[in-house]
Amino acid sequence: MRRPGIRSLVGGAAGLVAGVIGGVTLTSVSAAGPTPLSRAPALIDAAHVPRVLTLPGEPIRLRYAIVCTPRDDGLPCDGSGTVYIRAGRSGPYSPLPLLRGDDAKDGRYFVDVPAPLANSAEGFSYYAVLRDDSSGASITVPAGGADAPQVSVPLRDARSVTLGGHVFGAVRHSDARVAEAGWGSGPRELGLAGSRGLGFSGPSSFDVESDGAVDVLDSVNGRVSRWADGRREVVPLGRPAELADFAVDSDGSFDVLDAGGTIRSYDSHGKPKWAQKLADRTWAKLGHGRSGPVVLQQPSEQWMPAAENGAPLSRAEQMHAAHAAKQLANGHEVFVERVGDSELRVAEVRGRAPPRGWRITSETPLGEVQLAESHGSRIVVITRAYTDDRDEFEVLVLGGGGLVARFAVASDSWTETAPLARFRLVRNALYRLRTTPTGAFVDRFDLEVPQ
Amino acid sequence: MRPFIVMLGVGLALFAAGGAQAYHRFWANCNDDAPTFLTTMTRDAAQDYANAARYEGYQWGGGCWNYDDGDSYPNDPPEETGTHGEGGDCSGLTFKTWRESTDTWRDGRYYWRALRNVHGPYSAASFRAGNGAPNHTVAKSTAGVMDAFASNTHIGMVFMRSLYGGDQIVEAKCEACGTNIFYRTYRGDSSYGGVARWGWTG
Repeated sequence: MRRPGIRSLVGGAAGLVAGVIGGVTLTSVSAAGPTPLSRAPALIDAAHVPRVLTLPGEPIRLRYAIVCTPRDDGLPCDGSGTVYIRAGRSGPYSPLPLLRGDDAKDGRYFVDVPAPLANSAEGFSYYAVLRDDSSGASITVPAGGADAPQVSVPLRDARSVTLGGHVFGAVRHSDARVAEAGWGSGPRELGLAGSRGLGFSGPSSFDVESDGAVDVLDSVNGRVSRWADGRREVVPLGRPAELADFAVDSDGSFDVLDAGGTIRSYDSHGKPKWAQKLADRTWAKLGHGRSGPVVLQQPSEQWMPAAENGAPLSRAEQMHAAHAAKQLANGHEVFVERVGDSELRVAEVRGRAPPRGWRITSETPLGEVQLAESHGSRIVVITRAYTDDRDEFEVLVLGGGGLVARFAVASDSWTETAPLARFRLVRNALYRLRTTPTGAFVDRFDLEVPQ
Repeated sequence: MRPFIVMLGVGLALFAAGGAQAYHRFWANCNDDAPTFLTTMTRDAAQDYANAARYEGYQWGGGCWNYDDGDSYPNDPPEETGTHGEGGDCSGLTFKTWRESTDTWRDGRYYWRALRNVHGPYSAASFRAGNGAPNHTVAKSTAGVMDAFASNTHIGMVFMRSLYGGDQIVEAKCEACGTNIFYRTYRGDSSYGGVARWGWTG
């Protein structure tokens, strides 16, 4: 072998250095190239907590936040808006201009609903058009506007339910454990992701079929684990679904709503059927509607159907088919409104009959409503009682005379789930998803059969 | 000449194999401009600021993004500051949205532009404890627009309360989910505490 000369060594070294420098330079160029300048496009968004259930004589103020492109001077946007409102659910709307307040803690823009509308026997319906006057951008809330307005129902003769102060530590134990698995990626395990620094996520949702089969969305492993007739099945979905919500249709197909707001439908073998983006930017819960999956969305704060009879609905179709109430499979509608820190209002509407309502008050603050559904002639509501360092779920069974039954269940969970996916009510039982450092499980709480 | 060309190729290959390509790069577009000291700080201006960071990604230890509605470098390995991707992390987004100083003893209002690469001195846990002159803890039931809920691992700001009693939370959540407005139940979750910024002017 010939020994390399000094010129070859110098040339090789220079080439090596040039190669590394060239790589760095190319990387810098490729990183800098596609990145645009910091220039915010004109954008507009909004937020509004609708007044869905109102009491006779109660003053009603509608508040809105208008969210625009950030200004260079750091001030809020020059917003304005108009609420279009009418008595009942039909007829022409009347415009009410929004006023601009000094405080934005609950939304800077507001209007007080005139007493004749606020006290209308049929309630009122409304939508708002909000504007950024500097850019001309506008947004309609709820998104369906005049075709699918927000609806407010008067709560007359509501049953009063006084919970008092929540007594922590007196939780009911489950009647059965119907599904259980340790952490891992094996076929009989459920996936766990995260760390002590990031927090952990695991199965983010579940559902229970009418025959009692339990389906858990194994979000980390990208599959569905099914417990049925003493057997375990795994249906791969082909992609992870962290913090996604999940529902099983009556034909065994699955709907998975991912964190980014896309709902994907799969057949019972995990074969993708369709995917559809939600109408609104944010979602709270995926549920079963009368003819397909429905999603509670924000900022509209309405239940929007995502599909009908197996076919996805476009974003415009979702907006225009939206409802303030959840439309249940039995034909009933359930309205829910959390009011203030510790009050919850619930109403059930059956056809043209006057709504049945409950006004629930508590001395302990109430958090989110995980579930509010019909159970025979009753309504089952699950909310969370909390203080700054403790919390438990409170299960309330409401009937014509008021509170029929109540019990508390533990709320702690080792991993994060989809926000309103901890419970399912199927036939005469309540099911709860819970996780611990060793694994995940679904417990069943049997409910008294309503007369 | 031949040795030069051969080793040039080797150098390029070494560079690529060394993983330098995998760790970007977005921070090369960021700056270290001084913040603008402001006398006002309203909750809805903070909503504007955080809302504009939506879709701009998540970067552990980060605090720099543009406004192109996309994460330039998604799905980096988690918990690695050295990936230098786009977006804030949860505490970085909160720090910039709340117009805080890098000096924990200052409680003034410092407006950081989006491309200013600053994370601030607070972790989620230190926000939760109310550390720093501009921060304090609040009862969760009283938390309003652009107050926050913090645990030992995460912090998110209240974009608006919501009908079913949860909250729309604007947060830099994770590499896979980025920065967005999500519906969360942190208010009732005892692993989270209420945190707020002193000095809102409206």
